[in-house]
Amino acid sequence: MDHSSLAGRIFRGVALALVLVFFMFPIVWILMMSFQTNEQILRIPPRILFEPTLANYQALISGHLRTTAGNLEISFMRNLMNSFVLSSAAVLLALLLGVPAAYAFARFKFRLGESIAFTLLSFRFAPPLLVLLPLSLYYQQLGLNDTYFGIVWVYQLIALPLILWIVRGYFEDISPDIEHAYRLAGHSWREAFTRIAVPLAGPGIAAAGLLSFIFCWNNFVFALILASADKQPVTVGALAFVTASGIQYGQIAAAIVLSVTPTLLLALYAQRYLVEGLSLGAVKG
Amino acid sequence: MARLELNSVGKAFGAVRCANDLSLIVEPGEIVAVFGPSGSGKTVLLRMIAGMFEPDEGDILVGGRSIIGAPPEHRGVGMAFQNFALFPHMSAQDNIASGLRAKAAGGEVTSRVNSISRLLKIEHVLGHMPRELSNGQKQRTALARALIGNPEVLLLDDPLRNVDAKLRYEMRLELPSLLRRSSAAVLYVTQDYREAMAIADRIAVLIEGRLVQVARPEEIYARPASVAVARLFGDPSINLAEVTPRAEQGALTAEVAGTRVRLESPDRQPADYGACWLGVRPDDLTVARTAGEGAIPARIVAITPMHERAVLLLRFADGIEWLAALPPDAAVGSAEDSVFVRFAPEAALLFDRASGLRIGLPPRRQAA
Amino acid sequence: MAMLEIQNVDKVYRSRGKAPVHAVRALDMAVKKGEIVALLGSSGCGKTSTLRMIAGFESVTSGAIALSQRRIDELPPAKRKVAMAFEGYSLYPPLTVRENIAFALKAQQLSRSEISRRVEAIARLVEIEDILDSFPRAISGGQQQRVSLARALVRDADLYLLDEPMGQLEPQLRAVLRGRIKGLLAERGMTAIFVTHDQTEASALADRIAVMEDGVLQQFASEKELKNRPANLFVASFIGEPPMNLLETEVAAADGGFRLSVGSDIAFQIPGDTLDHAARQALAQTKRVRIGIRPQKVAVGTGDVRVRVVSNQWLGDQSHVAGECAGHLLIAVTPSRIAARPGDVIPFALEPRHLHIFGADGACIRHAEGG
Repeated sequence: MDHSSLAGRIFRGVALALVLVFFMFPIVWILMMSFQTNEQILRIPPRILFEPTLANYQALISGHLRTTAGNLEISFMRNLMNSFVLSSAAVLLALLLGVPAAYAFARFKFRLGESIAFTLLSFRFAPPLLVLLPLSLYYQQLGLNDTYFGIVWVYQLIALPLILWIVRGYFEDISPDIEHAYRLAGHSWREAFTRIAVPLAGPGIAAAGLLSFIFCWNNFVFALILASADKQPVTVGALAFVTASGIQYGQIAAAIVLSVTPTLLLALYAQRYLVEGLSLGAVKG
Repeated sequence: MARLELNSVGKAFGAVRCANDLSLIVEPGEIVAVFGPSGSGKTVLLRMIAGMFEPDEGDILVGGRSIIGAPPEHRGVGMAFQNFALFPHMSAQDNIASGLRAKAAGGEVTSRVNSISRLLKIEHVLGHMPRELSNGQKQRTALARALIGNPEVLLLDDPLRNVDAKLRYEMRLELPSLLRRSSAAVLYVTQDYREAMAIADRIAVLIEGRLVQVARPEEIYARPASVAVARLFGDPSINLAEVTPRAEQGALTAEVAGTRVRLESPDRQPADYGACWLGVRPDDLTVARTAGEGAIPARIVAITPMHERAVLLLRFADGIEWLAALPPDAAVGSAEDSVFVRFAPEAALLFDRASGLRIGLPPRRQAA
Repeated sequence: MAMLEIQNVDKVYRSRGKAPVHAVRALDMAVKKGEIVALLGSSGCGKTSTLRMIAGFESVTSGAIALSQRRIDELPPAKRKVAMAFEGYSLYPPLTVRENIAFALKAQQLSRSEISRRVEAIARLVEIEDILDSFPRAISGGQQQRVSLARALVRDADLYLLDEPMGQLEPQLRAVLRGRIKGLLAERGMTAIFVTHDQTEASALADRIAVMEDGVLQQFASEKELKNRPANLFVASFIGEPPMNLLETEVAAADGGFRLSVGSDIAFQIPGDTLDHAARQALAQTKRVRIGIRPQKVAVGTGDVRVRVVSNQWLGDQSHVAGECAGHLLIAVTPSRIAARPGDVIPFALEPRHLHIFGADGACIRHAEGG
């Protein structure tokens, strides 16, 4: 665009700034709230300038929440840990199951193949509440209620379809001839899968894993119903800040910052990696 | 070394039969080109041999042993692909070595990779990733990868298709001796008849899933089995006209665009001919300004120089168009001029109109 | 009077974070009315950029383009009176072949019978009469390309731009269609520019060929002129199939002329009276030159250059013999069959009068006699 006029450039700048503000404002505001006391937050009109405090973070990390109604014990750090364990385990399991399945769907035409793939995807269509009641009944019968394994298992409803469908597309983009060539060079199909297909679909697998990690991390309702306090992730744990003496906005903000930071960093890091991986033109050979 | 044998191989995908009773023997050290128009089943044939899918009927044998049902990695087959199919995440060196890792130890791998890449002139790019290679280098790398394991059967799927004209020409000169070093039985798929003629010992012409002629290149060019084969060999391709030959005073003649032309009487009674296709190659036509017996009047539509020759598009009185390929310096006038076209009786090929099969003609074009 | 005039046109692609790409440099070209011109070159030589600038899909960075004495480089594509056939065909998928071809004619407000007459005529020419009512997705690549050609040629335009117009055509049809299209263009006096990387196509169709490389127009001349009098080493080695044999030789003055030798195996005596003054001076001042000889000019079976045959291929109408001599590969093309087998030693004749001589900078010092 070497011919764009000055007015055009200014307009573009303003438009970009507006979009940026629209999307970034909530994040910035939450970050600012996390360094303020409840009183500062509830001030009207709100102020941009304030004296920052680390009290919110202190309370979260130490687990002692001081409110006007007295001291509260909270297990935010435990929740954070739970989020990590549950999401990672769920994604890992989904990758182990989903990547080979995606490969099968991409490479082989078999009876009912498309129907099975679609059924798996349709798990994503149904609202979680639809399956929650029967699921919790089953879980009570099976003794899976309030176990890490049970929650990880139910997280598969989120992670598996995502991984399956994203990775399948990546496998389909790899020319089958590349794998044929590897097999003709004297390698079994298992080696062709692990040494050729998986590395070439790497960026796709990473993207799918990352996306499903974020979806698992953000899940609320499964863990709310199926887990008790000591196994609940941050999304549920944040409810603790709605106390008898009012809503602890400062702590909520700090909790949000702490729980968003890992996924945000992961996304930023992976984005760079993903862009690199995709621009390699790896698949075309 | 082992010969490759196809016995009545057949394959259908749904209602489409892309291989029909294919039988072919390729001796070790022999290069057979599989040539045909696109969609004729060439690639399907190669892929059945490579084990990417199995034939519905018939048998494929390597060294007398059936390879039906064997996984690709146990068939002793090497292959180079039209789209190269290099492993994008491995260097050229590792790509080539991948053909050996399964069979040989470290030190030997390096020395064999080095010797094959010297032969293919890619030593200087061994460290490069496929995306850093030119198309020519990619194809040489793919060839090296296919050759390095000393396969008993070597399949080349239109390997020069995506290489530029100059490199394609060089490779065309180089490939036969390169392929013969390996003493593998080579099947070479191509859509370019010149490539097939240049590289192959024999050409197997595949049309709509059937092998219509398997013979030496010069044999196919001079004595095509059918009108379809004749049309595939030659650029510009052979001129055709619908004729019904007639015997007159012991000589065979036919009417082309209102002019009676003499044909050579082949091995059967002139009276036996029915409706035929008359075929004359563009380089067998001569064009003159003057009329004469057996000279067909025509108008020059356009002159298109090609392959160091002047190619004339001629239109006869009845609207039929023929091409004549003349020496570049032939002074024959320019577009819109009226001219007269002749050909020698022995240059004419006759094909049965119903079956398309050639009606036997004595040999022409003896070797110089 | 020039129909199309390209004056000192430059095209620079700038994209952020990358070095600017100078795709076309100081291009000057004039195309006469009724002329067919080929832009020939390998990929990335600037030929497609040039075509797109004429069509109006790319802006010119500097310079001017005029069509029928109208300056067009600032006009939108639709107002330039050019018709174009795209390399990727760009047929309208929801329209039938007939509607695709008639599309631009409808905008010209021709009568229905006139439109159908024109569509039928052009369809007959490119042999698509029996698929006129099919949809683009239902026909083969070769047929799509013919439809795309028909759609461009059926229009009334000052200039016809064809991007790789015949690359996908069925081989059996190619030669005839080239002839018919050339005949049509000539009969109607249509001016056309087409882009191709295939020199066979360029020489078959074009009256003049513009050879481009690296964004620079190397030579703009008839096919015969390009072959017989190549302006430089690039054109000499690029034009001609198979490519010209090139040898590095040492120059020594001898017998009033010059002796060009390759090691001790091959030597040529160039008489002084076959050289003009400039050529004599250039040769006197240099130690090494490149010589080129067309494979069609190398005679097989006679002569004093002994080569070891590397390959001998009979292509039905000509033999291609490659022989090695003193580490150089020489290629000969003859219309007759040669009996030699790989490994045999046979003579090649390279006559001094058939040699093109190029200086160290690639410029031509002397052309071969009569090409």
